Amino acid sequence: MARDDLDAEGMDTKVVRPFAFFRAGARGNPSDSTKPILAFDEVYKYFRADQPTLRNINLEVQRGEFAFVTGPSGAGKSTLLQLVYRQHTVDQGRILFCGKDIARLTAASIPFLRRNLGIVFQDFKVVPHWSVFENVAVALEILAMPGRLVRSRVAEALERVGLAGRGGDRTETLSGGEQQRVAVARAIVTEPALILADEPTGNLDPHLAIDILTLLEEINATGTTVLFATHDHSLISKRDHRIISLDDGRVVEARTGLRSWPGALGAVG
Amino acid sequence: MDLKAIMARARRGLREELRLYLVAISSLSVAFLCVGGALLVTTNLSLLAEHWGQSGRMSVYLEDEAAPDDVTQLRVVLEGLSEVAEVQRLTSEQARATFLEEAELGAELSSLPAAAFPGSIEVTLRPGTDPARASAIATQVGQFRAVSDVETYRGFFDRLSSLIRAGENIAGLLALLVALCVLAVIGNTIRLAVARRRPEIEVMKLCGATDGFVRGPFVVEGMFQGLAAALLAVLVLVASFVALRGHLDGSLAALTGVRAAFLEPWMLIALVFGGAFVGALGSAVSLRRYLVV
Repeated sequence: MARDDLDAEGMDTKVVRPFAFFRAGARGNPSDSTKPILAFDEVYKYFRADQPTLRNINLEVQRGEFAFVTGPSGAGKSTLLQLVYRQHTVDQGRILFCGKDIARLTAASIPFLRRNLGIVFQDFKVVPHWSVFENVAVALEILAMPGRLVRSRVAEALERVGLAGRGGDRTETLSGGEQQRVAVARAIVTEPALILADEPTGNLDPHLAIDILTLLEEINATGTTVLFATHDHSLISKRDHRIISLDDGRVVEARTGLRSWPGALGAVG
Repeated sequence: MDLKAIMARARRGLREELRLYLVAISSLSVAFLCVGGALLVTTNLSLLAEHWGQSGRMSVYLEDEAAPDDVTQLRVVLEGLSEVAEVQRLTSEQARATFLEEAELGAELSSLPAAAFPGSIEVTLRPGTDPARASAIATQVGQFRAVSDVETYRGFFDRLSSLIRAGENIAGLLALLVALCVLAVIGNTIRLAVARRRPEIEVMKLCGATDGFVRGPFVVEGMFQGLAAALLAVLVLVASFVALRGHLDGSLAALTGVRAAFLEPWMLIALVFGGAFVGALGSAVSLRRYLVV
């Protein structure tokens, strides 16, 4: 790390992208900044040949947007996100992330894609016997970031999620809400272009769910795009973000704010 | 890839799975001990073969009532042969004294009379003497009146050669079996560790870790297991050899004329580093299918 990248207090101020998009050494195209950060183009995904889980998905997510992905259980919300971080591969169609087709990535390039994403899960996916610091720092260690920089970046991320000074705690001793905050800290510590939150409030009580939603909104306010999958309409109804609704593998609605849906307020209760 | 980070994570892995790894290391060290033991036996057999092969000895046992003139004549004939390097007369008394000295059995055999040890002429053949020519000399010498028997040790040497070859084959087979055993034990140990650390691997992969980043610490842990097990086996082998050497040397030297020897340093180094290599290999191979997240 060059000296110029550090401010007077030794904190890094530069957005670090130790690995460029997908492959070390690759350069991003400046014109990509005007395009949607994520675009689904006639995407199909089959787990059973006769029953596609996702069918003909056409969707765009703009840079800096906060969007809910909603729908009943089995509608394909998680699958949609899993296609983005390449847990699964697309069977038909294209998914463009920053203008590049990630559906055709080779296995060797997938880690470099994931370094540009922050992922938050319903079951937190934190390592219980690791400390809070270790759980967050792992994302930076993967980028081979120097130890001093890792410490400052982790401290900053923990402060943003309200866990300042808790780095030494064992993660298993934290409450569910706190563990999810650790997961969020891990997702944002690398300053990714896109955060994928797959039912991040599913295991939390309503009060903590609002906390996590607010936290992700704060992160979104700094310019990070957030895709928030949830089937909890009570949560969606409290905010006026764009809603991408899935049903039976199809996008049935993609509009802004549940309040603008005909008859939605009554349904939400 | 950051070697320091790999080592740090391997250290943490070793700490977390210490009990599991200690059990694996103790099992593996037994396997390495078998290889070390087989190598030790083969090394000593080879030394024996070399000793006997190079010495080209022949013992000409004399009749109890052999006339001194006949013995002298026999000695002159032997010294006249171009294949003979040295001729040494050994009386019954000298044979008895030599045996008691080399056997280190002291009181148990000291009561044996000198008559129990026949006088002999010990013949040393020149190196490279054709075995057929040595046999011909033995046949001719056996016809002398003063000679009761001639021992060329050829039969013994042939049997010993076969024994050494068999020993070497067994040691090679044992080394192969041990290598497979080490691969299996380390592979299974690492698989157990991987199963227990599955959440870590999943988290790392989802954060963008490459297979190399995930695999690195496990390979180091496997390497450590192999290294530690081989080192432990070498230490046990050295300790056992030092403890038993005193007992072995006396009787072995008396019977064979060769003192027990330990493994060459390069063999020990090869055993230790071979253990580390096989450990790393076992770990790397067993991890492959666990890296898909």
